Amino acid sequence: MNKQQLSRRAFLKLAAASSSGIALAGMGPLRNIAAAQDTVELTFGRHWEAAFRPRQAEYDEGFMERHPDIKINITYNTWADHNNVVPAWAAAGTLPDIIYVHGSRATPWAHEGIIIDIHDIVVADEEFNVEGMWEESVRLYRVNGRIHALPYDHGPIILGYNKDMFDAAGMDYPGEDWTMEDFAEAARALTNPDAGVWGWDGRLDLGNGGSGFFLGAWGGATMNDDESAMIIDTPEAKEALDFWYNLTHNENVGASGAEMEAFPNQQPFRFGVAAMGHIATWSTPSMRAQANFEWDVAPTPMGADGTRKTGAFGSGYGITPTSDKPDVAWRYLREYLSVDGMIFMWSLSGRGSPARPEGLEAWLTSDPAPPSGHYFLEAMFDYAVTGPPFQSLAAAQVSQILSREANLLRLGEASVEEAIATITEEGNAALDAVADM
Amino acid sequence: MESVPRFSLRSLSQRSREELVFYIFILPWLIGLVLFTAGPTLGMLGLSFTDWRISFDDLNFIGLDNYAKLAADPIFWTSIGNTFYIVAGRVVFGTAFALLLAVLLNQKVPGIPFFRAVYYLPSVTAGVAVALVWIWIFNPRLGILNYGLKLIGIQGPQWIYSSQWVKPSLILMGLFQVGPNMIILLAGLQGIPKELYEAAEIDGAGNWGKFRNVTLPMLSPVLFFVIIISVVGSFQNFTEIRVMTEGGPGESSNVLIWYLWENAFIFLQLGVAAAVAWIMFVILMALTGLQFRLGRRWVFYEV
Repeated sequence: MNKQQLSRRAFLKLAAASSSGIALAGMGPLRNIAAAQDTVELTFGRHWEAAFRPRQAEYDEGFMERHPDIKINITYNTWADHNNVVPAWAAAGTLPDIIYVHGSRATPWAHEGIIIDIHDIVVADEEFNVEGMWEESVRLYRVNGRIHALPYDHGPIILGYNKDMFDAAGMDYPGEDWTMEDFAEAARALTNPDAGVWGWDGRLDLGNGGSGFFLGAWGGATMNDDESAMIIDTPEAKEALDFWYNLTHNENVGASGAEMEAFPNQQPFRFGVAAMGHIATWSTPSMRAQANFEWDVAPTPMGADGTRKTGAFGSGYGITPTSDKPDVAWRYLREYLSVDGMIFMWSLSGRGSPARPEGLEAWLTSDPAPPSGHYFLEAMFDYAVTGPPFQSLAAAQVSQILSREANLLRLGEASVEEAIATITEEGNAALDAVADM
Repeated sequence: MESVPRFSLRSLSQRSREELVFYIFILPWLIGLVLFTAGPTLGMLGLSFTDWRISFDDLNFIGLDNYAKLAADPIFWTSIGNTFYIVAGRVVFGTAFALLLAVLLNQKVPGIPFFRAVYYLPSVTAGVAVALVWIWIFNPRLGILNYGLKLIGIQGPQWIYSSQWVKPSLILMGLFQVGPNMIILLAGLQGIPKELYEAAEIDGAGNWGKFRNVTLPMLSPVLFFVIIISVVGSFQNFTEIRVMTEGGPGESSNVLIWYLWENAFIFLQLGVAAAVAWIMFVILMALTGLQFRLGRRWVFYEV
């Protein structure tokens, strides 16, 4: 894994060369493989929310103009249902040609034959330049070393803060030198029970991406690198969880699980009642739409020994075995997931940080990106790690266990020791069960 | 050449003709039952003995392994316990509440049609919408339940966000979905001959005496039906769990139907899910059989 293929300086040079105009203008010169033969229909299973569908439609109209032999037909699922609908499609033999694949689903879906191995076609297509994608993002879709899908976005989780609250308290904004102790001190200072305000949102996420924020600062993790064992029972991980637990349940400077439920998507930070919160690139559009206060982002605070780490995650697209035209499906994906395609779809719209570094500078200019959005980029370059579980066939089971125990911790129904013991025992049992598969 | 005798309906007895007409009328339903219910049910039984995940191509017969796996999974037993807890609560309290409402709405007082409509309304509303409304009702911080309790000096519980309270919360919520049962019981009440009440009055029975000795026995076949369909309906109640609790906190609202769904659509263990479906089927058949057996003791059929 080589996360830093480009130095920051080189990257900025490269990114400066890509302006937002290139995205739209670039669509024109793309190879027009249009043929005079009959039109083929390319079917999709996507999950975009209604607000983003016009963007997709605009892209697809442009694509069909460039490729008049291809007609696009999309089925939209809801985000909540997509991962359940796809296996049902697969069992019924009615999968569309191309499906949205959340990073956590690539391994099990590849194993079940829901998505096909596209490694050779991707690597052979030099114009596509898969090396230009974050290796951390492509890693999600490598199964036994072979690419089974390709990412469209990949982003880290860093610290968001309410500038109005910091200003009102006369406090400095979170800085690059912040440690977790600075974070805790600020959270304590900004908590005001009488006003119903917390210093931070209390979030504890042990799943994909989320586990890195706290555990990483202490050098802890939920699973080992190859996801063959749970390692949340280390002293480092326990110390990190104790830190979180103490802030939330003993000092009450973060919202508990039940208190979070008063806010859509359990986001007290987004609704102006928590001074700080976790924020990912894909959540900035909702933040921009719903937050009626000034906000910005800062690097994830460091641990006491200067360790700075956070989780990152993303989503992509794969081609299904049901497709009788994988070559046509690839013609779509190679443009859709090209630099220009990503800039048009995700950078300029601000819908998410694209999986290609070349698209990130344009993302910074989008409306949803915060003023200090470059901290997201720095996290991607310097310290974000794709969060487990996603490589194991038991990833779904382990995710359920982590989610359940994190929920019990948030609700104050499990102690840190109990949660660690349960996660370790049940998680290892789930991993052992698939060890020979 | 000997002529073949022509078939004529008239050659059939009256009883045979009626039977034939009966079968012709139920044929569309019968075909649907065989093709879309009984067929898949039996197919599911076969699949429960396989390692079916997604593809049918590499299906292997594994005997009772899926059932053994379930027996060894503590979450499976938790889900059975949770299911019985919620079903018992919903059937007992739900039926009692439906009966109470039916009796009240059977009175001749002004405004009764309005109240009948109000109590039936949640039943014609989409389940997801009802669940979303109840999420807010149960919200510990902003919900109307805890607001009401606070007004009378009581600190409300965490409702669906508490392992202790989530099952009672779901039972409480079920009380507001008794509309269909209430309507069935109301129809039953209105079918009880008035002469029986008059005779009971002549014998000196008061309101409670009339209810106990006339209403309940005459209503018992309807109550029996309501209890049977309530048990089946409560077992299959998926929407609220999916939308409101996802089986949590912890596994405290993980019921069999959710456990089945998790295995099928999250863990992609469709063979295991098929085994869970069959266990649910057997439990429901056993419970229904038990109810029929017990029903002989308390259900009064008018001859």
